[in-house]
Amino acid sequence: MSADAKITPSTLNLKDLPWQIAWSREKCTLCGQCTAVCPVNAIEPGVFRKRSVDVDINAPYQSGSGFKVYHGIRQRTAPAYHCVGCGMCAMVCPNDAIMPYRSDEADKLRFHLDQGGQPERRGGRRNAPGGVLDQIKFTRISMLTDPALDAGRHEFDMRTLLGRILPPEQNMQQVLENGWIPPVREIYPLIIGGMSFGALSPPMWEGLQMGVAYLNEEMGMPVRISTGEGGCPPRLLRSRFLRYVILQIASGYFGWDEIIHAIPEMKVDPCAIEIKYGQGAKPGDGGLLMWHKVNQLIAAIRGVPMGVNLPSPPTHQTKYSIEEAVAKMIQSMYMAWGFRVPVYPKISGTSTALAVLNNLSRNPYAAGLAIDGEDGGTGAAYNVSMDHMGHPVASCLRDCYLNLVSLGQQNEIPLFVGGGIGKNGNLAANAAALMMLGASGVQVGKYVMQAAAGCLGSETRRCNICNIGLCPKGITSQDPRLYRRLDPEDVARRLVDMYVSFDTELRKIVAPLGRSTSLPIGMSDALAISDKAAADRLQIKYVV
Amino acid sequence: MTDQQRYHLICGREDDIRLESRVLEERLQDAVARGSRRIEVEAWGQHGIGGRLWRAGDDPLHIRVTGHSGQRLGAMGFPGTRIENMGPASDDVGWLNAGAEIIVHGHGSNGVANAMAQGKVCVAGSIGARGMTMTKHNPRFAPPELWVLGSVGDYFGEFMAGGVAVICGIEAQTPGNILGYRPLVGMVGGKVFFRGPHGGYSKSDAKLMPISDADWQWLVENLWEYLEAIGRTELYDELAERERWQLITARTPQDKVIRKTRSISEFRQSVWNRELGAGGLVGDLTDMDMSPIPLITTGELRRFVPVWENRMYAPPCEASCPTGIPVHERWRLVREGRVDEAVDMALAYTPFPAAICGYLCPNLCMQSCTRNSASMPSVDITQLGRASIDAKAPELPPITGKKAAVVGGGPAGISVAWQLRQAGHEAVVFDMSEQLGGKMRHLIPESRIPKEVLDAEFERIRSVLPHVNLQQEMTKDEIEQLKADYDFVVIAAGARKPRILPVPGVERTVAANDFLARAKRGRIEPGRTVVIIGAGNVGCDAAVEADRLGAENITLIDVQEPASFGREREHAEAAGAKFRWPCYTREITEEGVVLESGEVLPADTVVVSIGDVPDTEFLLDSVQIENGFVKVNAHYQTTDPKIFAIGDIVRPGLLTDAIGAGRKAAAAMGEIAGGRRPASATGMGPELNSVSDAGLQMIDTSRVSLEYFDPRISAFSGVEQCGASCASCGTCRDCGICEAICPRGAISRKQLPGADYEYVADPDLCIGCGFCAGACPCGVWAMRENDPLN
Repeated sequence: MSADAKITPSTLNLKDLPWQIAWSREKCTLCGQCTAVCPVNAIEPGVFRKRSVDVDINAPYQSGSGFKVYHGIRQRTAPAYHCVGCGMCAMVCPNDAIMPYRSDEADKLRFHLDQGGQPERRGGRRNAPGGVLDQIKFTRISMLTDPALDAGRHEFDMRTLLGRILPPEQNMQQVLENGWIPPVREIYPLIIGGMSFGALSPPMWEGLQMGVAYLNEEMGMPVRISTGEGGCPPRLLRSRFLRYVILQIASGYFGWDEIIHAIPEMKVDPCAIEIKYGQGAKPGDGGLLMWHKVNQLIAAIRGVPMGVNLPSPPTHQTKYSIEEAVAKMIQSMYMAWGFRVPVYPKISGTSTALAVLNNLSRNPYAAGLAIDGEDGGTGAAYNVSMDHMGHPVASCLRDCYLNLVSLGQQNEIPLFVGGGIGKNGNLAANAAALMMLGASGVQVGKYVMQAAAGCLGSETRRCNICNIGLCPKGITSQDPRLYRRLDPEDVARRLVDMYVSFDTELRKIVAPLGRSTSLPIGMSDALAISDKAAADRLQIKYVV
Repeated sequence: MTDQQRYHLICGREDDIRLESRVLEERLQDAVARGSRRIEVEAWGQHGIGGRLWRAGDDPLHIRVTGHSGQRLGAMGFPGTRIENMGPASDDVGWLNAGAEIIVHGHGSNGVANAMAQGKVCVAGSIGARGMTMTKHNPRFAPPELWVLGSVGDYFGEFMAGGVAVICGIEAQTPGNILGYRPLVGMVGGKVFFRGPHGGYSKSDAKLMPISDADWQWLVENLWEYLEAIGRTELYDELAERERWQLITARTPQDKVIRKTRSISEFRQSVWNRELGAGGLVGDLTDMDMSPIPLITTGELRRFVPVWENRMYAPPCEASCPTGIPVHERWRLVREGRVDEAVDMALAYTPFPAAICGYLCPNLCMQSCTRNSASMPSVDITQLGRASIDAKAPELPPITGKKAAVVGGGPAGISVAWQLRQAGHEAVVFDMSEQLGGKMRHLIPESRIPKEVLDAEFERIRSVLPHVNLQQEMTKDEIEQLKADYDFVVIAAGARKPRILPVPGVERTVAANDFLARAKRGRIEPGRTVVIIGAGNVGCDAAVEADRLGAENITLIDVQEPASFGREREHAEAAGAKFRWPCYTREITEEGVVLESGEVLPADTVVVSIGDVPDTEFLLDSVQIENGFVKVNAHYQTTDPKIFAIGDIVRPGLLTDAIGAGRKAAAAMGEIAGGRRPASATGMGPELNSVSDAGLQMIDTSRVSLEYFDPRISAFSGVEQCGASCASCGTCRDCGICEAICPRGAISRKQLPGADYEYVADPDLCIGCGFCAGACPCGVWAMRENDPLN
């Protein structure tokens, strides 16, 4: 800052920032690549004055001082330009001369990001490492008590069911009476959760879809992907790949007129319809796609004019009670595809999930329930929503599953859960734990972004700028200058790698349980945890 | 000799009771130890018969098994042992076989040859599941062999790590698939010859290979031996048909790495895009290039582009100068060695470059100088100002014929006349005094402005403005006449009417202006004690003059903290004047000033210096007055379009404000005279100082890099050093630092026609790093977000 400037409460110094840029004058070659790539202009080229003093204590005393000017990289301290720690500077530096380092103490920046009375918003994640899922162990190893299977070489049938499964007698009755039997999909239990075209860049979206098609058609893995709320490109709607797609409808209904127009031309039915009522990352808050992300492409897909803000209300506006809300939506969505496509709601993890579930249990059309826990990610949310709102997914799921068990319906209404699964890298272990707690499958988003696209987010407040369209990897940007950094083929390739390795890991977990042809859904006797309270709460074994 | 005679018989049953496997094993081992080399075991399901018989040494040992052999026949068999099982065999024949030859004259059950490492198992029928699994080939020994006449069961050859299996497919139990379900999973070594249909095998672990001549040679040679062992030599010809045989071998680790699936690129091309159409997912919605790009880009793919914003923003000095002098340009001329031009340049803006810039002005340019932000002294314009005393009057253009009457010969009136004449219009100045100059000449003490400077500047003015009518009092009628005779009338009569102090005894006081005017002419003797009511700058001037005229005790009082500043205040303080506040005057008596508090401030002379207001009596009714001042628009035009008003009659201000107003009014009149609408005014008065006279926004000074300047200079040795120290905010110094620092060599200097030049960045080379903008000392380069691509 200039010498005569007055400080304000929000005048910060480098020490106050969460990330500090270490720059080596010795190594720097002044190539300009770091400043050219920094997504938030946190660094800038600077002119530095270096003073030197030459002293001479012997007569005739010729001490003096002089200064030299040198050029280098300066980190900015204004809150609007704070370093987000993405490390792109280090990525492009030819001499390893620059790198962001996390501050060694709590930053002061967080108290000053509400300039103009606007609370901080961000994209990404909750930044809460740890959690109960990683602590769960699989303690039932059935080497001699059950047929031991070889994860690497046995043939496994890692499939789950999405759709309402009638009890056998009822199913038989329907068959005999030529009645309606709810559609059920046999799918891979790891679903790519809803991330909209808009929240994600075109190459990211295309890469994921392409990877999913590849997994289905080349690898024989029936992987499914939710569109998120933002419509679906017309070509995809009219292609055979639609079979792999779960169309999401949410409170903004963006893109749905385009979907309706496409119905007569669809070659295949979509996998399912997901009605989004809530999102784990920001329960009770609607989405918002900022106007600057609504370019020609997004506008076309969502069926809106360019350059307008696209807010989604926190709730669907024409629903007033749980009974009515769910029944009405489910009916409408079934009707669109002649009752051939399963329809299920997705809610954010909540202490009221049981009420929703009980309602669904009485609705013969409900194809399942998806629950998004507090660790869910998002393109944009208020910090306060992301950090403090929502319900941990494990206990929410467990309550729901055990409730179904008490109703005797645990095999009838599949539960799908998402939110922070694999957030610390333990995707298969987290997924398997949740299945054994009662989930029929899991939904993942952030893990996919990290594994398939190299998202820089971590659970330690790195990057998290999905909301401002400046994603340095081009994952969540709508600016071609950024998103063209991402090659959809690379995304597809990495997605395939991710799924194939997940599959191996999942087998490594279920094979010792003696499972190869059906997932261990609800097989909670295989689980244990060294936390007594968690063990009691989840009704699994306590081990030390 | 019968068989029974030649073979030592061990019966697995004794007294109708089956021998334990342990006992049978003891008897068998014992027989071998005692020299038996042909032994028949009548088995009753005992475990592991025929294995571990090393006591035979190198002698051939023949074990014939009748009855029901138990599990693991020949387990851990030794070289030299030949076991012939006369019927079908139970599980795990040849388990961990380390060299025995085992012949089964019937079917084998599950696990045949599991973990076999050497030796041979020949089965005359088919075998069950998991045959030939986890077999080894130890390089010290010949590989193990499994010969099966029929078919093998499920999971054949799992983890097979060596050895040779031959599956003949004759009288197979499963003729449609002689290799069973999921064979060879995890196979890493060995060979499997087979003859007949199969239902697939682990392609990731094993692969079909053509049978080489050497392989075939081996097979036919050993085939006869096998058929002999199982007594089926009649099949030789049938089995010796090479074309019907196939060979599976293990993939090497290197082989396995290559995933035998379609590449993503190929999938995209031949599946994805074929189904969706050219351009893939959104090919129908956009024709924008979506191909991948690197992190560092040039041209239109740059996120930011440098813009050379030379002279797009005004430097703070120019922007804050009410007169509108482009101070930085004068320093540029100095740097270029053109000091004379730098000096003369000021005359285009002001008739008083020396008197005002050099002496009387508080130098707003210096107050706003960017250098202050680094605690460095402002570039000292007074040095250039004082040098301007020698500035030569500009050459005057021919007269246009348009005429203006200027009422008031103070700084404002002289400024407007000076500008009008320089634009070719005739200007006639009318003033009440006997000399031009207004306050500047008559009131400001000589301590602040040497007489020679004023004389020199007025001399220059006289050469430009020969038509001056002095000692002319103005009335409404005369103004009316001027309005008729001239194209424009400019009222620059100043504020001459002192505000009256509303207290008893005010008649004992002298107004500050009066005091100063008389003082300057030496026509007043203030006495030893002077009290000045009103401690503003005019009050300070009065104090200084009082001091000069012999007063010893000078007090300035004010009702609030005195507003005086700058040199006036400094001079007053140097004269020993005391400032007191708050002091409320109750009355003026012979003794002096009586305050509300009752205190009496003795005074020989009481000067009242609480401001002046304009005298507007002589103005026409068409000129609207507001709060005592003449109301004007942004062009200093009054409500009478032919009449302009500038200077203190419009609002009180600095000398430089009056000079600037004169310039602006002259410019507006020039436009109107030329039949044009005056250009939109850029404002007047100090509150609009962020916009320069030329309409340029003031530069954001954080763009300027002061690091290039020596921070230890506290005073300037002369105009050259001043020029060198000017950062030239917003105007290129032509230093070439941008060109030097650009990492891609994208920036170059382009000479334009004449002396002009520009620096340009080649978009094909530039990566938008911003180094030019960061390094530019003048803040000329800026980084702008590139135009949106969609």
